Amino acid sequence: MDTVKIKNLTKKFGSTIALNDLSLNIEEGKITGLIGADGSGKTTLLRTVIGLLFPDSGEISVLGFNPSTQKEKLNSYIGYMPQKFGLYEDLTVIENLNLYADLKNVPHDFEKMLEFTSLSPFQDRLAGALSGGMKQKLGLACTLLGNPKFLLLDEPSVGVDPISRRDLMQMVRGMISPETTVLWSTAYLDEAHSFDTAVVIDKGKIIYEGKPHDLAKTPQEFENKVIDLMGGYSKTFSEIAENYVPHNIEMECTVIADKLEKKYGNFYAVKDNSFCIKKGEIFGLLGPNGAGKSTSFKMMCGLAKPTNGTASIMGIDIRKDPEKARSNLGYMAQKFSLYGSLTVRQNLEFFAAAYGINYTQRNDKVEEIIRVFGLDEYSEQKSEKLPLGLKQRLSMACALIHNPPVLFLDEPTSGVDVITRRDFWNHITSLSKKGVTILVTTHFMDEAEYCDRISLFYQGKTIAIGTPKQLKEQAKADDMETAFINLIKESEN
Amino acid sequence: MKILLALIKKEIKQILRDPSSIIIAFVLPFISIMIYMYGINLDSVKVTIGIKNDDNNPETATLVKSFGHSKYVNSINYDNEKDIETAIVRSKIKGAVIIPNDFSTKLSKGENADLMVITDGSEVNTANYVQSYAMSIANQWLSTSKFAKNTVKPLISVESRTWYNPDLNSHYFIVPGSVAVTMTLIGILLTSLVVAREWERGTMEALLSTRVRKIHIVLGKYIPYFLLGMLSMLFNVFLCTGVFQIPFRGSYLLLFLISGIFLLTCLGIGLTISSKLKNQFLASMVAMSLGFMPALMLSGLMFPINSMPKFFQYLTMFLPPRYYISFVESEFMTGGVYEIRIENAFYLTFLGLLLFFVVYKNTFSSLEKKPKSSFVNKQERGAL
Amino acid sequence: MIRDFLRRVIALMKKEFITIWKDPKTKGIIIGMPIMQLLVFSNAATMEVQNIDTVVLNRSQSVEARELLSRFENSTRFRTFYYVDNEEDFRKKIDTQKVQIGLHINNDFARNIKNGNGASLQVISDGRQTNSAAIASGYALQIAVKYGGEINDKKGAGINISVRNWFNPNLEYKWYILTVIVAMLSLVTTLILTSLSIARERELGTFDQLIVSPLSSLEILFGKAIPPLCISMVLTLIMTGIIIVFFHIPFAGSIILFLSSIFISLLAIVGVGLYISAICNTQQQAILSVMTFMMPAVLLSGFISPIEDMPVFLQYLTWLNPVRFFMVLTRGIFLKGMIFEDVFSNWIPLLIIAFITLTLASRTFKRKLG
Repeated sequence: MDTVKIKNLTKKFGSTIALNDLSLNIEEGKITGLIGADGSGKTTLLRTVIGLLFPDSGEISVLGFNPSTQKEKLNSYIGYMPQKFGLYEDLTVIENLNLYADLKNVPHDFEKMLEFTSLSPFQDRLAGALSGGMKQKLGLACTLLGNPKFLLLDEPSVGVDPISRRDLMQMVRGMISPETTVLWSTAYLDEAHSFDTAVVIDKGKIIYEGKPHDLAKTPQEFENKVIDLMGGYSKTFSEIAENYVPHNIEMECTVIADKLEKKYGNFYAVKDNSFCIKKGEIFGLLGPNGAGKSTSFKMMCGLAKPTNGTASIMGIDIRKDPEKARSNLGYMAQKFSLYGSLTVRQNLEFFAAAYGINYTQRNDKVEEIIRVFGLDEYSEQKSEKLPLGLKQRLSMACALIHNPPVLFLDEPTSGVDVITRRDFWNHITSLSKKGVTILVTTHFMDEAEYCDRISLFYQGKTIAIGTPKQLKEQAKADDMETAFINLIKESEN
Repeated sequence: MKILLALIKKEIKQILRDPSSIIIAFVLPFISIMIYMYGINLDSVKVTIGIKNDDNNPETATLVKSFGHSKYVNSINYDNEKDIETAIVRSKIKGAVIIPNDFSTKLSKGENADLMVITDGSEVNTANYVQSYAMSIANQWLSTSKFAKNTVKPLISVESRTWYNPDLNSHYFIVPGSVAVTMTLIGILLTSLVVAREWERGTMEALLSTRVRKIHIVLGKYIPYFLLGMLSMLFNVFLCTGVFQIPFRGSYLLLFLISGIFLLTCLGIGLTISSKLKNQFLASMVAMSLGFMPALMLSGLMFPINSMPKFFQYLTMFLPPRYYISFVESEFMTGGVYEIRIENAFYLTFLGLLLFFVVYKNTFSSLEKKPKSSFVNKQERGAL
Repeated sequence: MIRDFLRRVIALMKKEFITIWKDPKTKGIIIGMPIMQLLVFSNAATMEVQNIDTVVLNRSQSVEARELLSRFENSTRFRTFYYVDNEEDFRKKIDTQKVQIGLHINNDFARNIKNGNGASLQVISDGRQTNSAAIASGYALQIAVKYGGEINDKKGAGINISVRNWFNPNLEYKWYILTVIVAMLSLVTTLILTSLSIARERELGTFDQLIVSPLSSLEILFGKAIPPLCISMVLTLIMTGIIIVFFHIPFAGSIILFLSSIFISLLAIVGVGLYISAICNTQQQAILSVMTFMMPAVLLSGFISPIEDMPVFLQYLTWLNPVRFFMVLTRGIFLKGMIFEDVFSNWIPLLIIAFITLTLASRTFKRKLG
């Protein structure tokens, strides 16, 4: 029995073809992973399957219904979690659950659900005040209400720490019945490797469909195979780093955090956080959602005022002369925060000027950066229309446009496909070799391996600091993910 | 039904969480009624005028005095016309009265004497006041002055009466009228952003994948804001009749019933804007242009609709505040005229239903408009 | 130093212009909406009461009464006459708002004229529309008094008011109301443009990016204030052009004074808008705050009733109201030809308001960070 039958599906947006003559069957009772580069058509496929978008041609049958015309009947059998989770951030946890329970016509009996998601203590907290991981769990809980026969999850684990990611996976597997079909779109290939079926989609076409274990035995191998399927990635020299003009810096620590502390009422979001990052070092800030990483990050670049302590960039105190300190800094925010209505080129021009590059040099610099970042094709497009991976690439381009000696990257690779991620890290490591100091946060534990040093952050405090190797030894673990989980469990005891 | 109830509960909770919408529903009416009660005076506007007396007769000095004693006028004496001109340009005075040197001579001969009145034509309303005040003060003075014996009794006099508002207290109609303007504003502004927001925050996508139907989404927005609007209405009426003692002679039941219909039309305008423009900036700009300004300028509250050119009279027929203002003023002041109630209620209901239909048509149950291609339609018919 | 400053400000301004100007929908709404409103309101907003419908209860079957009524019928201001023969119908016509005024002539009308006692005409107006009804009964009074004078052969002393209306000889209401409407429409547009600009960036997260760049508060302030200022300036000038060219309103003053006064007024309004924007977290809060500011500001600007006539407390409060000075300046320069000495005293409060609000706004940009 197949839950979904798709035949020759085509969907266009204007002149762009999102889905190109795609045929696919999804087996009942199986978890199917949907993998693909950014803009490959994953979200469009999910939306078309449940009738939120209408196909231009082709046939779809979901649970025996035609989603285009029988959406209302179909909706009672499905659970769909969109990328932004669909939570009302100004409602509390329990209010969100009540709402979705009523919408799905199920009793208000959330005890098991709350326990499973360990959200019980936070029932009355506003959804907007939850950490990323908890939001995701709540979103999933709302989606799972009413035991849908068919569950569709659109990148549920973007921006979630490894512990929450594991919980999420357990939640899905534990809450569904054996007949439930799951379609799970993801950027994490280790996740996809554990599913029953993997579907790799590229440019609106399916390029692989089958058991992940048939493709590769280990997640690592699986990742490489998928990359090969998607056209492969060959590590070349980084042109971005090549074009970087090194600064002559005569100091050891270019970035210093000095007893940073942030207090909200009686609650310490960050407590006594000190570290020094050496010139040319990649310093990773790791920790579960809500541990205080973002707050530290914001304090480091002057977006939040520390209650106590200070930070300095290139020897300039961020509290005393924030503007001057920041002129040495390239910053890439977690959420896409460039001007959506401006084109790629206009965004670059704006940031070039904001960082004081003079008019005559500006054009050359913008041209160069467009070329180096491979944005030529998109330079006249509005940035809000770009797929996520390209948005991130543009953010990074904007952060680097003024040749800064220090780079702050807040989850630069979240929501980015695997090839783009590799490409990113190639640039990051090459830049560091040129002497750029980099502070980075990430939830991909394989990425943590690229860092020279890591500070593990939990409940507002640094619980471990050292090279990846040192941390793994300390936690007696083989890989970073296990090390991460062990160290956090240890600190809890 | 359960779905609808859940959506309404959700919306109400959201309203309660963001105090700005509640504040606007109660603070704005309060401010505006206070201003109309205490800040704006449309009845006996007091104007400052200049006086220049070129006639040396002692009797004309009493005319200058009568200007000084009038409760409608503040007078300042001037010696030359140049100063008067400067004062008018600087808006120090709104006009001037010049008594010519032959004024008393002519009156004592039993002739008509000219009294020169200068007004600041750049403010037409006050210019009219200056004219009529000057005329009535001068005539009043004449009938008590020693020239009175030289006057002739007019053959036709006019006896003016104003029904429903014999004291000519403009508060009696401007305050209920202001209620209509605030209600328009609240109805349109509050709802013009709410649908746009659900799209922006991605919650619409999640809603659409549940059993929610179009009608639920539409009613789920209408009902909570209707409740909020009616509470605000209740508060408005309480302020008018309870606090400021504006006489209310009509039926409360009908007042609330027809206010309810009016509110629905405003919510309809707001929701149409919101579902058409998924951008909060544009939505607010359009809400102001289609909601607030016409309610102020075209509804008959400030400018008589009858005097507008034909085309614009027809244009006002699409404005719900027009009917509501006519109803509300009548309800407050006359104690209810059935023809007026029925006529306005009819037009409001018609507009309300029309707008509801427009809102419904503009609400999608998917992320894009259903294509009109024959292939979907055929399948649809087959499925039904 | 200065060059860096300029470079950054210009970059920010350019970005603002692109966001507002590049989107045809936005551009259309910002320019189109006010102009459309100007055209509609300028035709519709009139105080010259026309098309007055009248109900007549004439109990005097006399030549005099007939003659008086024919004077009314020949007046261009009166439109339809309903002749009724009983009080009931008379009342009904007024109750149902079929007419604006009622004329009532008693059966002793002719007798009282002939014996010289003086006859009276009763004019009943509908108090629900006090303004227009009062104006209409004023017209009735003029007609009746004029007729009374004509049939009176005795002449006596009287006062003849000879009126000179400066700056607007025929007291054209349009001249007055159009200058007010132009000021109001540019007020609305400017406030919406500025009040949403920072709140929107906060909501979308781009404001963080601005703050992390080396842009100083002053640079952000300049970059945020100048584009809306220019756009509103252009809009105001277009609207002024329209009322001069299409509505033939004579421009009496100096262009340079007019331009600089508009500039200073809009600067103060931009300041208020930016301050609102700086303290609000969401666009909804911003737009609701704008309403809460604008409604009293317009009502208390002197356009509906003169400021001298307000309670003293409110009169002082209007010194904080930029709209008040804006209206005085546009009208004063446009119609009255105010010269520099007249204008200057209105500039000072505006400049102070602009200075205070802009300073507060630029301080609030970063203080809000928490």
